[in-house]
Amino acid sequence: MSRRASTWAAEAAAVFVKDWRCEYRTRYALNTLGLFAFTTLVVVSVVLGPIGNSLQMATAVLPVILWLIVLFAVTAGLPRIFVAEEETHTATALRLAATPSALFCGKAAYGFTIVTLLEALITPLFLAMLQLSIARPGLLVTALAAGGFGMAVGSTLIAAMVAQARTRSALFAVLLLPVLVPALLFAVQLTRAAIAGEPPGVELRMLLLYDGTLSVAGLMLFPSIWTP
Amino acid sequence: MRTLLLWLLWLLIAASIVGAYLFAPPMKGFVGGGESSRILFFHVPMAWTSFVAFIVAGVWSAIYLRTRNRRHDHAASAAVEIGLIFCILATVSGAIWAKVEWGAFWNWDPRQLSITVALIYYAAYLALRSQIADEEVRGRVAGAYAVLGLVVSPFLFFVAPRIAGFSLHPQPVLNQQMELRMDHSVLGILIGGSVGFMCLFFWLHNLATRLAALADRAEEA
Repeated sequence: MSRRASTWAAEAAAVFVKDWRCEYRTRYALNTLGLFAFTTLVVVSVVLGPIGNSLQMATAVLPVILWLIVLFAVTAGLPRIFVAEEETHTATALRLAATPSALFCGKAAYGFTIVTLLEALITPLFLAMLQLSIARPGLLVTALAAGGFGMAVGSTLIAAMVAQARTRSALFAVLLLPVLVPALLFAVQLTRAAIAGEPPGVELRMLLLYDGTLSVAGLMLFPSIWTP
Repeated sequence: MRTLLLWLLWLLIAASIVGAYLFAPPMKGFVGGGESSRILFFHVPMAWTSFVAFIVAGVWSAIYLRTRNRRHDHAASAAVEIGLIFCILATVSGAIWAKVEWGAFWNWDPRQLSITVALIYYAAYLALRSQIADEEVRGRVAGAYAVLGLVVSPFLFFVAPRIAGFSLHPQPVLNQQMELRMDHSVLGILIGGSVGFMCLFFWLHNLATRLAALADRAEEA
């Protein structure tokens, strides 16, 4: 019996659309990530006040806080990418429906769009509440996109790992943080340069290289994680 | 033959320890008239060995993902367990040295960052293994995490320290000008100690892997 052929791109797109359709119906990830990030931002803003007025304090402290908010929101909300499939017992159907590489790309694309929406929500609020001005907005957008991409790809791969373990939420953060440390270091340095108005330097190239490395590693390792 | 090799290993390690205290000259620029530099002969080999263990774990994991032979999974797990011990020893000895040399146990020097992230990575790998009950799933998933570590580690160990520009650590033995700037007797004892520690790691690794294979056989019987 021959299987109806579907292209790799069609499979990846189908996974992406399926995840967004589920998300649209429940709005679980967006609510969780958004509320978590907003709450953390409120606490930071109340405690630190208008710290962005001092350039020295702004470049020293605020880039780290912005990326910590995004990181904490990601660790809270992105494990659902694969954990939800295990909980609703749809993982087996997914194994039959799509090739592993297409599934990984579809899920990573979904994760990346979630992270992008989160950053688009939080960053303007962050700038407004902490009274921070950005000398190089283009560099900030690049840093957020590149850092967010690395987070999404890393999260997708680690989510697939923890979906098959027992204590999923706690283990996700433990596994993800060492993988993301290089990307976060480069992203924070780039954000710092964006605030201070300095040119990007070698960190941008290294961050893009790291994103590429994670993507290739994810594509190569995902079949071993996913397929029994 | 094995006994002879073990005796040679113990002699090499003993000679390195004796040489570190009695034959190595104190190095210029270190606290206590250069005497604090003697930790170099312990801290550096342990750090190098922990990095080698990282690579060994990644390689055995990649082999396991190809062959699905449980013995290869045991080899990967053993490399991480023993590598974690070397990593802790390197971190603690480095922190003690940092206190003596730079006045603070921790300064987030780029190399301190690298060894800390490696430590967290090893511990996370062992946490992952403990949370998966099924042997086959555990081997696959933990193996994939170890191979991912192999891919990530060059950024941690080579890129991050060099990007930071500054480092409290002395220049690497082979620096950017590719010159050896170390006294020959110091270099000799350092290399001897490093070889000794790495051979110790491989011996312990061999023992742990064989023990795990025997435990499997006992279970099946």
